[in-house]
Amino acid sequence: MKPSRTRNISILFQLGGLVLAFGFVSLILLLIDADPIQAFSLLWEGAVGNTTRIASVFVVWVPIVLVTCGVLVTFTAGLWNIGIEGQITIGAIFTTGVIRMFLDTPVNPVLVIILSMLAGMLGGALWAVLAGVLKVFSGVNEIFGGLGLNFIATALNIGLIFGAWSRPGVASMSGTEPFPEVYWLPTFQNFRFSWYSILLSVIGLVVIYFLLQGTHFGLRLKAVGKSIKSAFRLGITTWQHMLLAFLVCGVFAGLAGALQVVAVYHRLIPSISSGYGFMGLMIGMLINYQAIWVAPIALFFAALNIGGIQLPIVMKLDSALTGVLQGSLVLFVLLMQGVKQRVLGKQ
Amino acid sequence: MKKKLVFWVLTVLMVSALILTACQPSAEPAPPAEEPAQVEEPEPVEEPEEFVFGMLLVGPYNDRGWSQAHHEAGEYVMENLPGTRMIYLDVVNTADRPGTTAAQLAEELVQQGAQLVVFNSDDMKDDAVEFTRNNPDVYVIHASGDSVWAEGENYVPLPNMVNVMGEMEYGKMIAGCDAALHTQTGSIGYLGPLINEETRRLVASSYLGAQYCWENYLGNDPADLNFRVTWIGFWFNIPGFTEDPTQVANEFINTGVDVIISGIDTTEALVEARKATGEGNQVYAIPYDYVGACDEAPEVCLGVPWYNWGPAYLRHITSAMNGTWESVFEWLPPDWGDINNHDTTAIGYVSGPGMSPDNEALLQQFIDELAGGLNLWVGPLNFQDGTTFLAEGQEATDHEIWYLPQLLEGIEGRSE
Amino acid sequence: MKIGFNQINKHFGEVHANVDINFNIQSGMIYGILGENGAGKSTLMKILSGFIQPDSGEIVLDGRVVEIESPADAIKFGIGMLHQDPLDFPPMQVIDNFIAGQEGGLLLKHKGIIREFKALQEQFGFTLDPEAYVDTLTVGERQQLEILRLLWLGARVLILDEPTTGISVQQKEKLFAALRVLAQQEKTVVFVSHKLEDVEVLCDKVAVLRNGCLVGEVESPFDTDQLVELMFGKLIILKDPESVSGDEIVFELQNLYIEQYPITIENVNFRLHAGEVIGLAGMEGSGQDVLLRACAGLQRPVSGRVIVNGEDLTGKNYHEFIRKGVGFLPASRLEEGLVPGLTLAEHFTVTSDEKQKLFIDKTYFRSLSEQMIDEYRIIGRPDTPVESLSGGNQQRAALSLLKDSLSIILLEHPTRGLDMESSIYMWDKLRERCKRGTSIFFISADLDEVLRYSDRILVFFSGRVSKPQDSAAIDLDQLGLMIGGKGWEQEIANEETYEAISNA
Ligand SMILES: Nc1ncnc2c1ncn2[C@@H]1O[C@H](COP(=O)(O)OP(=O)(O)OP(=O)(O)O)[C@@H](O)[C@H]1O
Ligand SMILES: [Mg+2]
Repeated sequence: MKPSRTRNISILFQLGGLVLAFGFVSLILLLIDADPIQAFSLLWEGAVGNTTRIASVFVVWVPIVLVTCGVLVTFTAGLWNIGIEGQITIGAIFTTGVIRMFLDTPVNPVLVIILSMLAGMLGGALWAVLAGVLKVFSGVNEIFGGLGLNFIATALNIGLIFGAWSRPGVASMSGTEPFPEVYWLPTFQNFRFSWYSILLSVIGLVVIYFLLQGTHFGLRLKAVGKSIKSAFRLGITTWQHMLLAFLVCGVFAGLAGALQVVAVYHRLIPSISSGYGFMGLMIGMLINYQAIWVAPIALFFAALNIGGIQLPIVMKLDSALTGVLQGSLVLFVLLMQGVKQRVLGKQ
Repeated sequence: MKKKLVFWVLTVLMVSALILTACQPSAEPAPPAEEPAQVEEPEPVEEPEEFVFGMLLVGPYNDRGWSQAHHEAGEYVMENLPGTRMIYLDVVNTADRPGTTAAQLAEELVQQGAQLVVFNSDDMKDDAVEFTRNNPDVYVIHASGDSVWAEGENYVPLPNMVNVMGEMEYGKMIAGCDAALHTQTGSIGYLGPLINEETRRLVASSYLGAQYCWENYLGNDPADLNFRVTWIGFWFNIPGFTEDPTQVANEFINTGVDVIISGIDTTEALVEARKATGEGNQVYAIPYDYVGACDEAPEVCLGVPWYNWGPAYLRHITSAMNGTWESVFEWLPPDWGDINNHDTTAIGYVSGPGMSPDNEALLQQFIDELAGGLNLWVGPLNFQDGTTFLAEGQEATDHEIWYLPQLLEGIEGRSE
Repeated sequence: MKIGFNQINKHFGEVHANVDINFNIQSGMIYGILGENGAGKSTLMKILSGFIQPDSGEIVLDGRVVEIESPADAIKFGIGMLHQDPLDFPPMQVIDNFIAGQEGGLLLKHKGIIREFKALQEQFGFTLDPEAYVDTLTVGERQQLEILRLLWLGARVLILDEPTTGISVQQKEKLFAALRVLAQQEKTVVFVSHKLEDVEVLCDKVAVLRNGCLVGEVESPFDTDQLVELMFGKLIILKDPESVSGDEIVFELQNLYIEQYPITIENVNFRLHAGEVIGLAGMEGSGQDVLLRACAGLQRPVSGRVIVNGEDLTGKNYHEFIRKGVGFLPASRLEEGLVPGLTLAEHFTVTSDEKQKLFIDKTYFRSLSEQMIDEYRIIGRPDTPVESLSGGNQQRAALSLLKDSLSIILLEHPTRGLDMESSIYMWDKLRERCKRGTSIFFISADLDEVLRYSDRILVFFSGRVSKPQDSAAIDLDQLGLMIGGKGWEQEIANEETYEAISNA
């Protein structure tokens, strides 16, 4: 069989997964007496209906892309970085911390923003490396370590918002005092999104693409991910590479957290990670760890997130339905990959 | 190599497809390219005369609490003002709707035709101001806010915004009195939401009411009254982010509290009180916000201080419709003639089935005293840290009550 | 059961792995499948056992055309297969592995199962401990377990894909006895190999494959030269290599003491000369693999010293050993030698010392791998994933990854899975390195190979290490006896003198 035909067939199967996912969600909708066509057209309208909505989609796209980029690195090294949510949160905390330090100082706000974002990346990286250290030196599976660290990060975040960093006279889960506008990443006209965020995530995409496809480091990570024993025998320093994979992923997660603070919320809020970490893991699985697919699939997920807002407003449906759609998409595409392997294997 | 190229092309196509569709929003005649960022033209709706108002509810619309009170007020408006239609979005908070902001969601309501938007939480203050400023053509009611109070501390002149709040201080005083009349252990627990000026003054009001009835009606020593507040961190339980109100309520019950006053939007206190009572330990609860809140567990419910937003919303929406809109800050007292009249009062207090007839009379006496001008915000009153709040005979101003900086002496629990 | 192959064809991309295969296998016999590396033996057997489907052609069982869609299907038809490269050995108990694959709630009858297991293994003279963990078993024991499992699942046809590589002589004999018992029980045994000596003693009839085609069927008794000619298309003559051992000492073990349960190796003193080849002989699990790993820095000795090129590397890690010129090729090539999922080119990229900048110079590494593929005669392309190479070609790839700059090469079963011609070729390549001063330590279960290629031989018996035996002064029978534990009293007597010499 020609390789190009194999590829066409596998794309067909992916599309099959997509169709199945939509079919599945339609079925759910029919069961609750809602019109699937209306729901899907609402999703579409809600995501691309006007420029403001598109801008909102890109606001969500940025962190998803960054996080997915990071996740690809750990996936390549065969690691499940479940701790990514915590890494985003710690990134956001570090960023907020630095801005707070300089709030009433004459230091140039632009410098403060840059510093704070670097701090965010540092924070995310630290938290990720911690998960790595737990795995490499204490044998704690990164999934359990990550879950634990997520928990600690959330507790720390809430502790700060409710306590040390609370607004004067207020202790509320609604977040810390918003920063003065000079510490906001400039947005494009009146839209919510910032070209700087977009630029950063595009840079992230390019870096990850080349890191994984074109560098010796990426190839070694891949070897570690495929077979840690063989990689070690071939002379690769395996645990160092695993830690590095965590580190790189943490930098990306931290940057996502930093942007959530300086570009989106302008303050620290309890759910600052917004579940983007888990979404990144889902997308990573969905695209079978190919960096090339990050941008479009992240856009699709972001569009679903934003479009989903319409469902409760217009149809009184729970907007968690978009989460169901995203999840079943991953499941069905993975399922179809399995089916494909069976079918192609028989040829 | 070719494979990669194909994927890049796909990516670019997908992005441009999204942008393209965006540039031709269905059948709109206005050239959108000329428009600046915010597209505010009111959408052409089927019936042009229809007035659509939107509501952003911080909790679920059927929470038997704060958000349901607002939602029913919206329905009240629709009933009493023909030609109006409500659209709403509930659970508007960053934990439940990650990645969104209230301002963004308000804009979505506008997209759906809303000409007036109600922000129903103090929590949405920053977003409400941002939205109001960016959408000068949209009327905004921010319930519980103080942004357009000229004498207030957060004044922002916004001609298209109105602030509305009921004088729940009275409701809470009645609740406090009710609690004091019923406690056997002398321990009252206040299940607090987050800490801010509003919640502090409501806790303080409850305490003042409890203390007054404890001393004057029951003739007890004020020192024997134990009044405690525990804050969960938000208006309702968000697992993983707030403290669990069920646990807090249990903690109260286990440490001798037998009347729980709820300051949160949901009814965990009632549920736990019923559970304890079922186990032979008589515990009462006083829920909050919503007139029907007692239904959850009537037998242990002493009563509920409730908000009646309907009349105020009706007034403001009417004025928005006939062009008499005015930016005001309103802090509305109850209708002392009948504090439970749905068409006139701003707040009320309905007694629950848990109330005994003797105490009912005493409580009514308290309400009558309040109606007759009894003011509990009179000195001498100290802050929790012992500093003087009000000197002997001094009456607190609205400003002092609204921006109460600390809990009062005699209340246990965090002030901030 | 009678098996018929009818016009079987199978392609992998451009490779035509099976071409119009037609032949029949009668029941109650041991049938051999012979062929050089990459001839298509495993492919044909995988088709028979349902792992892959043919592009065209049919399988006929007892005169009935059947479609075998999966291994589970195959076992329903009574066909079970032992793979050439069994990969997954989860840390399960023997007995759990035994019942895995069986349907129904059998766990409840655990005790009964153990009894049945024991009864079954008795028939074949196997002595596995049902409570032991699978990952502690030797390759031979895993094989025995797999045979028992398949029989218990009802296999009437047993396919063994190169079962004799990697197991000891004793285990091999046990295996052959078991296979003969099976044939007597009217079961069909299909025995895939390229080892003529095994086929000759065991099989009743063989089919020979070359380049995917069936080139002949021969019945016992066999004529070796005829088989060789069928397999390779020409006759192959073995010649003993010349020693190129020098005087310079490149590697030294001093009073080495190693513990690795259940083996304890005491007091090893040894000096390796440049260009020398040392064979380690012994039954599997006698300690030779432990010593080899200690030499590679993978096993920390309790005491004693490992000196490489005059530098004491005791206690240093494996990567330090690599840097100092020690290379190691483990036996289980897909588990710890090659990275499944990576292509040949990627392997060369990862292991190369050249051009290790940030970005990969893809053209450079492509041509490098083409050159290596050529040099080591690997049937495959730079972008072939290693797991789709045939067993022998995987071994060639693993050997080709050993860097040229190495001064000591440690090999576990270097020619495992290689056909005769390829083994000769591989040893030629290794010997070439020896001429350039590289020394070799190698383990092999094949005593002929040990005798032929070693300059000196270390014999192992349950953790004891003989003094180095000059390979010219020892013959196959003597070596066989020593491996079996005979003649060691003599050895101990000699030891003192040896130590006296080496300490002098
Ligand atoms: N999954 C696969 N994908 C691509 N090529 C394959 C695959 N499996 C086998 N081949 C190719 O098919 C040919 C025959 O392989 P096969 O494994 O049948 O050889 P073999 O006779 O078992 O050799 P060996 O003695 O080395 O094990 C080889 O050239 C091999 O590279
Ligand atoms: Mg094979």
